[in-house]
Amino acid sequence: MLVSSATRLLALMLLLCAAQPALAQAPYPVKPIRFLVGFPPGGTNDIVARAIAPKLSEYLGQSVVIENRGGANASIATELAARAAPDGYAILLVAPGHATNPSLLKLNFDSIRDFSFITLAAESQNLLVVHPSFPPRSVKELIAFSKKHPAGTINYGSSGTGTTVHLSAELFQFMTGVKWLHIPYKGGGPGLIALFSGEVSLYFGNVPTVIQQARVGKVRAVATTGLKRTPAAPEIPTVAESGVPGYEVTTAYGVAAPAKTPRPIIERLHADAVRALSSPDVQERLKNLGADPVGNTPEQYTAFMQNEIAKWTKVIRAAGIKGE
Amino acid sequence: MDILNNLIFGFGVAFSLQNLAYCFAGVALGTLIGVLPGVGPLVTIAMLFPITFHLPAVPAIIMLAGIFYGAQYGGSTTSILVNLPGETASAVTCIDGYQMARRGRAGPALATAALASFFAGCVGTLLIALAGPTLGEWALRFGAAEYTALMLMALVASAVMTQGDAVKGLAMVVLGLLIGVVGVDVNSGMARYSFGVLELIDGVGFTVVAVGLFAVAEIVSNLESREAREVYTGKVTGLMPTARDLKDAAWPTVRGTAVGACFGVLPGTGPALSSFATYMLEKRIAKDPSRFGRGAIEGVAAPEAANNAAAQTAFIPMLTLGIPASATMAVMLAALTLQGIATGPQVMFDKPDLFWGLIASMWIGNALLVILNLPLVGVWVKLLTVPYRWLFPSIILFCCIGNYSVSNNPFDVYLCAVIGVLGYVLAKLECEPAPLLLGYVLGPLLEENLRRALLISRGDPTVFFTRPISLVFMIATALILVVMVVPAARGKRHGT
Amino acid sequence: MKPDLWNNRDFLAGLLFIVLGGLAVVLARDYPLGSTMRMGPGYFPTVLGGILFLFGVYVLLRGVRSGDKVKGEWGYRPLALIALSIVLFGFLLDRVGMVPAIVVTLFAAAAAGREFRWKEVLLLAVVMAAFSVAVFSYGLKLPYPLLGGY
Repeated sequence: MLVSSATRLLALMLLLCAAQPALAQAPYPVKPIRFLVGFPPGGTNDIVARAIAPKLSEYLGQSVVIENRGGANASIATELAARAAPDGYAILLVAPGHATNPSLLKLNFDSIRDFSFITLAAESQNLLVVHPSFPPRSVKELIAFSKKHPAGTINYGSSGTGTTVHLSAELFQFMTGVKWLHIPYKGGGPGLIALFSGEVSLYFGNVPTVIQQARVGKVRAVATTGLKRTPAAPEIPTVAESGVPGYEVTTAYGVAAPAKTPRPIIERLHADAVRALSSPDVQERLKNLGADPVGNTPEQYTAFMQNEIAKWTKVIRAAGIKGE
Repeated sequence: MDILNNLIFGFGVAFSLQNLAYCFAGVALGTLIGVLPGVGPLVTIAMLFPITFHLPAVPAIIMLAGIFYGAQYGGSTTSILVNLPGETASAVTCIDGYQMARRGRAGPALATAALASFFAGCVGTLLIALAGPTLGEWALRFGAAEYTALMLMALVASAVMTQGDAVKGLAMVVLGLLIGVVGVDVNSGMARYSFGVLELIDGVGFTVVAVGLFAVAEIVSNLESREAREVYTGKVTGLMPTARDLKDAAWPTVRGTAVGACFGVLPGTGPALSSFATYMLEKRIAKDPSRFGRGAIEGVAAPEAANNAAAQTAFIPMLTLGIPASATMAVMLAALTLQGIATGPQVMFDKPDLFWGLIASMWIGNALLVILNLPLVGVWVKLLTVPYRWLFPSIILFCCIGNYSVSNNPFDVYLCAVIGVLGYVLAKLECEPAPLLLGYVLGPLLEENLRRALLISRGDPTVFFTRPISLVFMIATALILVVMVVPAARGKRHGT
Repeated sequence: MKPDLWNNRDFLAGLLFIVLGGLAVVLARDYPLGSTMRMGPGYFPTVLGGILFLFGVYVLLRGVRSGDKVKGEWGYRPLALIALSIVLFGFLLDRVGMVPAIVVTLFAAAAAGREFRWKEVLLLAVVMAAFSVAVFSYGLKLPYPLLGGY
C-alpha cells in the first residue's frame, strides 16, 4: 500500500517536472494585469500610465488596470511591485524618483536588483525660466551674474526637495560652481506662482507647464535640461550646448516588473509596450504632456537606470540633501 | 457691454443639449461622491479621465467642473446627518449641522446648506466672469509673509472656535498642529515623526483624521451606555427652513460667500480654510455666541456658503494663470492639456467658448444642484429614522472604504482606527475635535510660510511688517488678541 | 477620602496632553533646531510639544482642584469592537477581497451595538455588500478585488 502510493507520488512529481517547460509556456496573459502607479490620480505619472494603458491592454488582449498607490514619492508602489509575484500580472510605472529615492529615503528594496526593467516609455525635460526682471538672458550670462553676486543671494524655487525641479538646479550648481538659495514649495503650482510674483528668480519647470507662460512673456525661457532640444520649443538651446557640457536632466517614466519574472513574459510585455508607444494616439497624448515616447530595450533601460542612480547619488550627497 | 456679450455667448454654448447633459451628469455624480467620505472629486475625476479622451474639450471640462463643485454640496449631507465630513470643508458644518439633526432639524439644516451654497455658487461664478483676471493678479501678491500673517491671524482667532473650555480648546489646536507636522518638512526635505514608516512620509491624511475624530468617536459615544439612548431626539418638525431660519441665515450666507470667494483664489488655502474662517467670524459677531455648537443655523449657512464660493473661485488661478490651485485642479488642467488646450492668460481669448461656456455652465450647475438637493432633503431625513443599530455599522463601513480609497492602502484604515480611539478618549474628556482639525489644517501652512518668509528675507523678521498686505493681517491679529484678552482681564466671560 | 483621580476628567485630559506633548519633544530631539530666525525642522515640533506639555500641566492641576468627573461610562467594549472592525477591513480587503471584508466588518461593528440580531445583521451585510460593489466597483470603477485577494 505504502509502496504503491509512494510510487504514485513519485510518478506525479516526475510528471510535474516534465510539465515545467510546458507551464512556462502557459498562455499569458489570461487575466487582467495590475499597473502600479506611485502617485494619486491626475499627476503626471498617473497620466502617462493612463496614456499607455488602453493601447497596451489592446495588444496584450487583457485589460491593464491602473492601481494608484500613492505615497513616499512612489516608493510605496515601487515596494509593492518589488514584492509582487513575478508572474507578469503586476507591472510598475517607474517614476522619475526611482533614481533619487535610494539616496533620500530608507527603502526596503534594492532599486536595481529587485526589478526587471522592461522599457523606458517616455522622457521629458525641464526648462529653466527666470523672472522677466532678472538680467541674465543666457546660461553664460547666468553663470557670470551668479558668480558676481555673493553665494546664496539669488533665489530659485522648486516643487519640493528631491524633485527634478530641485535637482536640476542642484546639478547646475554642482557642475558650474555657482551657489544659489533653494526655496522649496509644495508642488509645482505654488512654485510657479512664486516665480511669477518674483519671490524667486529662477525655476527649472516642466516643459509643458512653463512653456505657455514663457510664450506670453510672464517668464523668460533660458535653456532646457535635456540632451537634445525639446520638440515643443526647438528654438530654445539646451544647458549643455550653452556652456555646461555634459549637463543632462531627463525625467524618465518607464515600465518594470518584479525581478524574477520569466524572460518570455518580459519579452512579450516589451514587444507590446513598444507597439503601444509607437501608436499615433499614444504618441499624441504623450506629446501633449510634454513627454517624448522612447521604447528602448530592457538592457538599455537597465543600464540607464544604473547610470541615473549613480549620478544622482553623487549630486545629492554633494548638495548635502538629507531625506529620512 | 463686453462682458454681457460674452456671457450671452457662454450661455449659448452651455445650453446645448450635450453640454447640459454633461453638466447634469457631473453635478449629480459630484453630489454622490461628496456624500462618501474619502472618495472625493480627485479620485472620481481621475477615474473618468478616459471618457474625456473621447469627448470634445467643452463638455469634458463642464462635467469635470460639475463634479468638483457638486462634491462640495454633497459633502455637507453626511456632515449634518451623521457627523461625518464628506469633504474637507464640510468638517465645520458638522459642528452645528449635526446638532441640528439630533434635534430633529435635519431638514432645515440640509435645505439651508443647499440654498446657501446656491447663493455662494452664483456669486462666485459672477466673480469669475467679472473679475477673474484681476483676482488672479491679486493672488499673486500673496507671498510667504502674507500667508504667514494670515495664518497667524487665523490661529489666534481660533481661540474663538472653542465652545467650552478655552484652555483645552487651545491645547487641541496645538495637538492638531503637531499632527499636521507628521511627514516631510517642505523647507528641509526631512521626514518628521514618520518612524521609518513609508506611509507616514506624506503625513496623516485628512480623511483619516476627520473620520476618526468625528464619526468614529461619535458612534462609540452613542454606544457607550448600556441603556438605549435615542441618537436623534426631537421630533422632526419640518423639512424646510422656517422664515426665521432664513432670516437668521441670510447675512451669514453673504459674509460666508465673501470670505470664501477671497480664500478660494489663494492657492493652497481654499474651501477648508474658508469654512473655518467664516465659522469663527460668525461666532465672534453673533449676539449670542453660546448658541454655536448647539444647532445654530448660522453655523451651517456661513461655512456652506464659504466652501462653495471658494470652490468656484478656485477656478480662477487655473483659468487665468494656468496654474492649478490644488491637486484636483491639476487633474482638470491635465485633462485640458491632454486635449491639446493650453491654459493660461490667453485662454480667455484663444478659446472663448471654453471659458465662457464653462462659466455659464457653472451657473446652470448650481441651479441644477439646488433642484437636485432640495427634494432629496426628504429622503435624507427619512434615512435618519432607520434604527441606529443598522445605521452605525453602515457608517463605519463607508468610513473604511473611504479611507482605503484615498491611497488604496490599508495603512490609512489602521491609522483611522487609532485616531478613532484617540478621538473617543478626547471626546470623553470633553476636548473638542473642531479646534484640532483647524490646527491640523493651519499648522503646516503656518510653519511652511513662516520659515520660507524668514528664508527669503535672510532672517529679517521685520518683513512681516514692511509688506502692506502682511501688515494688515498682523494688525488684525493684534486687534483680535486685544479683543479677546480685555474682557477676560476685566473679569467678564462669555457663557462657558 | 482619597480623590478618585482616574475618574477626574481634567486630570486625565491634562495627563494625555502631558504625555503627547512630552512625546513630541522627545521624538523631535534629533531634528536640527536651528535658530528662531532660521528655524530648522525641529523647531516647530519642539516648541509645540513644549506648549502642549505646559497646557497639560495646567489642565491637570486644575482638574485636581475642581474634581469634575468624567460624565457617563467608558464604552470599552464598543470602542474595542468598532476599532477592531475597522482594522479587520483594512487587513482583509487586500487578502480576501472586498465582499468578505465588508461582511466581516459589518458583523464586527454590529457586535458593538446594544442589540445584535443575527439575521438582521446578515441581511444588512448582504445589502451593504451589494450596494458597495455597485457603487464602488461598477459605478466608480475602483479596482478592488471582490473575492480573493491580490
